[in-house]
Amino acid sequence: MEKMTIHLRVWRQAGPNAPGRLVPYTVENVIPDMSFLEMLDVLNEELIAKGEDPVAFDSDCREGICGTCGLVINGIPHGPDRGATVCQLHMRRYKHGDTITIEPWRARAFPLIKDLVVDRSAFDRLIQASGYTSINVGGAPDANAVLIPKDKAERSMDAAACIGCGACVAACKNASAILFVSAKVAHLGMLPQGQVEHKHRVVKMIDRMDDLGFGSCSNEGECEAVCPKEIKLANIAYLNRSYLTARFFGGL
Amino acid sequence: MATLWRAVSSSVGTKVVIALSGLALFAYLILHLIGNLFIFLGPAALNGWGHTLISNPLVVPAEIGLLLIFLIHVYKAALNWWDNRHARPTSYAEKKWAHHTSRKNVGSTTMIWTGALILLFVAIHVSAFKYGAFYEPPAWEPGVRDLYGLVVHTFLNPLWAGFYVACLVLAGVHLRHGIASSFQSLGADGPRFTPAIMLIGYLLAVVIAAGFAFIPVWVYFRLG
Ligand code: FES
Repeated sequence: MEKMTIHLRVWRQAGPNAPGRLVPYTVENVIPDMSFLEMLDVLNEELIAKGEDPVAFDSDCREGICGTCGLVINGIPHGPDRGATVCQLHMRRYKHGDTITIEPWRARAFPLIKDLVVDRSAFDRLIQASGYTSINVGGAPDANAVLIPKDKAERSMDAAACIGCGACVAACKNASAILFVSAKVAHLGMLPQGQVEHKHRVVKMIDRMDDLGFGSCSNEGECEAVCPKEIKLANIAYLNRSYLTARFFGGL
Repeated sequence: MATLWRAVSSSVGTKVVIALSGLALFAYLILHLIGNLFIFLGPAALNGWGHTLISNPLVVPAEIGLLLIFLIHVYKAALNWWDNRHARPTSYAEKKWAHHTSRKNVGSTTMIWTGALILLFVAIHVSAFKYGAFYEPPAWEPGVRDLYGLVVHTFLNPLWAGFYVACLVLAGVHLRHGIASSFQSLGADGPRFTPAIMLIGYLLAVVIAAGFAFIPVWVYFRLG
């Protein structure tokens, strides 16, 4: 198989307050079938062999379901493929001799820990703010006891596909978390089971989002375009509607 | 009241206020453009229209209302822009437009700048026309302002005509994102509605900009 040489410019930063910069590296013998992260693994093994500090980056499942990986590759979060995470990106996307710039997510609410790793626990704060849902327990209900229109169920499921990777924040010029919040709000709000706390959830999540230092929405839709799970901008309109209804008619 | 204040101060509420005030200003632009069309009916029509407007006792409250809406729009948008700048203290070394489904365009990326220039333009425009030279129409109803004469006199100067056309292009760029985006901020969205409003917003931006810009061009080339 043909091997490629890839030039990298990788953001290196020793710690949260250390100065950072783009450092050039060259990786030889890159096999097109390697995933992008495997290519970084190869780089790291070379760095370790030379006694240098390997590049810190996050990953876990490496099959696009956990949302742990996240890099801005040549200026686009998760790289050039649509509806895919970094771990699903393969080196066959690149040519011999290409130069690739790799940066971490950049947002005030996602402080940098090291190199390409950022602290996304702000998303956990948002989930905490969303509170609980009241679900009846007890004997298993009849299958059709709670009727849910098909389109509602679909929209809820589509929103539930969010893996919380933070690419929406990384792509947004305002580093807004609103696509993430809207996915969570639509996921629960579309279903009858999520209705009880719906208006409280919306207001608490938006308040928390503002406190955490995320920006507001400019309706550009860069988030939707980079989202590996293709969460729709329509969820944000739904969130806005829900917020207005809760504030003006919901007594909140 | 406290609730209302909290609601309009949140990120979502801020965008709702910007959207509502923006749409109100857009509605005013349509009325303004319709009024401007009187110029094509000749001096008597335009001056008569202007006279009817300022003789109406409601015009002062309406002007104050319009000014308030304008100031709210400017204030909220500037504040929002300032807050958003702080949401990303370290910028990317390399950042590209994502394209694909993204609605990002020249308008959406320059809102604050086109907005600032429009603010400047409005100040110049109001001082040049509303508070500009007062011509009495020759041998016509005394006390009526010769707006037609003022418009023609101003736009026969190529610098004024060119300046207006340039500013109206900026206004078009601002509206190109602004109109459709307002509906998204207000939560108006639907599988058929959204593509339609995006297209209509774009077309209206062109119509408004071209409609207003036509007057200086027409005066300069046809009456010059
Ligand atoms: S590592 Fe799990 S989504 Fe990429």
